[in-house]
Amino acid sequence: MRRLLLLGLLLLLAPATVVAQASQFGVRGLGVPGRPLSTRAAGSSGAFAMFDAESGLNPATLGGMSAMTATFNATESFRSVENPAGSESLRDTRFPYMSFGGPARGTPFAIGVSYSTYTNRDFSNATLDTLELRDVLIPVFDTLSSRGGMSDLRIAGSFRPGERSVLGASFHVLTGTNRMEQHRTFTDEQYLPVRQSTELSFAGLGVSVGAVHQLGRSLWVAAMARSDGGASVERDSAPVGDIDLPYSLGLGLRWKAGARLDLAGHGIFRTWAGANSDLLALGGAGADNTVEFAFGGEFVSDPRRPNRTPIRFGAHYATLPFLLPPGLQPTEFAASLGSGVRFAQDRGSVDLAVGYLTRSTGDFEERGFTLSFGVAVRP
Amino acid sequence: MRRAWGWPAAFLVLAGVTTACQEELTAPAVCPQLCPGGNARVFDTVLTPLPDADSSFSGYVTRHRAGSMLVSNGLPAAEARAVYRFGPRIDSIEVRDTTRAYTVDSVLLTLTLIRRDTLLDGLKFYLYRIDPATVDSNATFASITAQFLPAAIIDSIAVPDTLNSGLIRTTLRGPDLAKVALPVEGDGVLAIGVAMATPVGSGARLGALLAQSAATFISHVTVDVPDTGSVRNQTLTAQTAFNTYVLETPQTIDPDLLTVGGEPSSRALLRFDLPPPIEDSATIVRATLELIPAAPVIGLPTDPPLLEAKSLFADLGAKSPVVTTDTRFIVSDTISVGTADTVRLDVTPIVQLWQAVDERPEAVFLSLLPEAASFSRPVFGSTRSPTPGPARLRVTYLKQFPFETP
Repeated sequence: MRRLLLLGLLLLLAPATVVAQASQFGVRGLGVPGRPLSTRAAGSSGAFAMFDAESGLNPATLGGMSAMTATFNATESFRSVENPAGSESLRDTRFPYMSFGGPARGTPFAIGVSYSTYTNRDFSNATLDTLELRDVLIPVFDTLSSRGGMSDLRIAGSFRPGERSVLGASFHVLTGTNRMEQHRTFTDEQYLPVRQSTELSFAGLGVSVGAVHQLGRSLWVAAMARSDGGASVERDSAPVGDIDLPYSLGLGLRWKAGARLDLAGHGIFRTWAGANSDLLALGGAGADNTVEFAFGGEFVSDPRRPNRTPIRFGAHYATLPFLLPPGLQPTEFAASLGSGVRFAQDRGSVDLAVGYLTRSTGDFEERGFTLSFGVAVRP
Repeated sequence: MRRAWGWPAAFLVLAGVTTACQEELTAPAVCPQLCPGGNARVFDTVLTPLPDADSSFSGYVTRHRAGSMLVSNGLPAAEARAVYRFGPRIDSIEVRDTTRAYTVDSVLLTLTLIRRDTLLDGLKFYLYRIDPATVDSNATFASITAQFLPAAIIDSIAVPDTLNSGLIRTTLRGPDLAKVALPVEGDGVLAIGVAMATPVGSGARLGALLAQSAATFISHVTVDVPDTGSVRNQTLTAQTAFNTYVLETPQTIDPDLLTVGGEPSSRALLRFDLPPPIEDSATIVRATLELIPAAPVIGLPTDPPLLEAKSLFADLGAKSPVVTTDTRFIVSDTISVGTADTVRLDVTPIVQLWQAVDERPEAVFLSLLPEAASFSRPVFGSTRSPTPGPARLRVTYLKQFPFETP
């Protein structure tokens, strides 16, 4: 137990590695919002996230943990990016989510902490231009890079007031840095290359509440509400302003359609438009409200051993908050497949998920595969 | 058991292989959608030296302390003759506690050719014996060339056309030894003057004391002892004790222009004042010092000089201490001989230093290399000369990139 606590603490002390998938749709605003999903939930495209104890979406789900559990998730993404400037194949490895929690023995309570990507702003954009310098046309290459974003440290607890219901609440510390660098090289080597950088830092607090209720023998409903308040923004340690962060409202439904098939889905609405005026005032692009829908299921071949290589499937659709061309909101669609296995008397488990993802708005498009790996330890 | 651990093992292998992949995040981008903050803008500005704060100072390196000696024949840049005075040659040799006389068998005179016109064939040097008493820092072209009489010719050395630099020598034997004979009693001193002959006007540089490449005077002698072998046959070497060169036309400095080079060498100090927006926050990508010659730069075309600019530690006028060891802040470039084109020198590191260190004067010291040993002496316009106009410092810079927040 002590080793597990130490492992959990070490994982939480590694914020630099906790980032999610990079994207050209994370260039503007605060970046691409992350999804606090375990690999297990990612296998169904997040359809079970409102009910999954190892995911960080709904604090009430902590009540579903049967033992103290530590999870660690990694994602490898292979993407093809297209925009009016051209196309490129990209890949990156990220560690978007980790959690640690479990029940308080002999009580109806469960507690947990998790660390996830709130927004991701990893990108490197290359542009080519020609400047007239000293009466000579000189091609220049620019690269604008960004690493970092905002992370979400969640401290959550749940309470089970009865057999069929679980309530939860969590406190979120939103923090992170965004290291940006602009690099220009001139084809004429008489001009020295230029490298300029800045660092944006963010800090904010949020709270969320959630509930899971069993309506019948095979039907569950879940709800969550979250307020992230605002984030204060500093640039190179100097305050530059505040950005309103969204309220989130989510509703999920789970139906055990049979001994072998479990289905779930959810919808989440986030009020990112509240950040619009703040972003515009700071000179950034605007923001708009977002919706997210996910639907999926889990099929088990042996109902007596539901944790042995179930087949998970699902799809999700979402709108992204930060606009690239004015007036056009980016959208995201993904379909996933996954599986996993528990071993050592359920003390350990590994999960895999593969997803196909597309994002687009106007002439900007991104598509590719993501591979997710998750490992959980239950001492 | 084997089946139970197969899955985790496969997972670990797959996860390890996949996550070990190298990250590739750079993608083409189109602006303005994918260019938060916009584009970096480049600015170009031209600065002139502070009025009346650009000056030439003379007297740094004199001709007899130069790194090489000038010789020329009909070169428009300068008519020059080199002179060497050797150290005294002893008049006797001590063998077994007895001072003994000797007989000179032969004499070897060597010169070091540093640079010549490599396009010119038929180069020949003439060595004249001159009065050692006239070879000092006050020697003039007239006082030296007056001794270049036919009777004073020691020898001529035809330089092979294939020899661009290196030792050249002549050996005197028999009756020719009389041309370099020294007094029998007392340590005699030999001095020689060097002139050159070429089909057309040209010049050359010879070795000098400062560079440890000056002329040598070697005598092979036979000592008056009954023995044979090394005691009897000895070599007496007289190194150059003093060297200088003389120019036909004295050089004068126009105070309204900037002169670098010549002899004694001149240096130019140029003071600037970077505008605060550049000094405080700009990123300088190129800084070029542009100097406009008042007349075509003359000299030996195949031996172009180097114009060198150095950063200053402090501005004390002519005696300002300059950077001597940190080569980052010493820049140089070759000056083309024969043209009046604007001379451009990349001084980016020096101007960047002005930005980085407030205490450093925003000034450069210009000098010409080899100092006091070049036929060139470029003269440039200053802030006091409407024609051809003052020097210019052209600075290309970027302002702080307007990173979007956020």
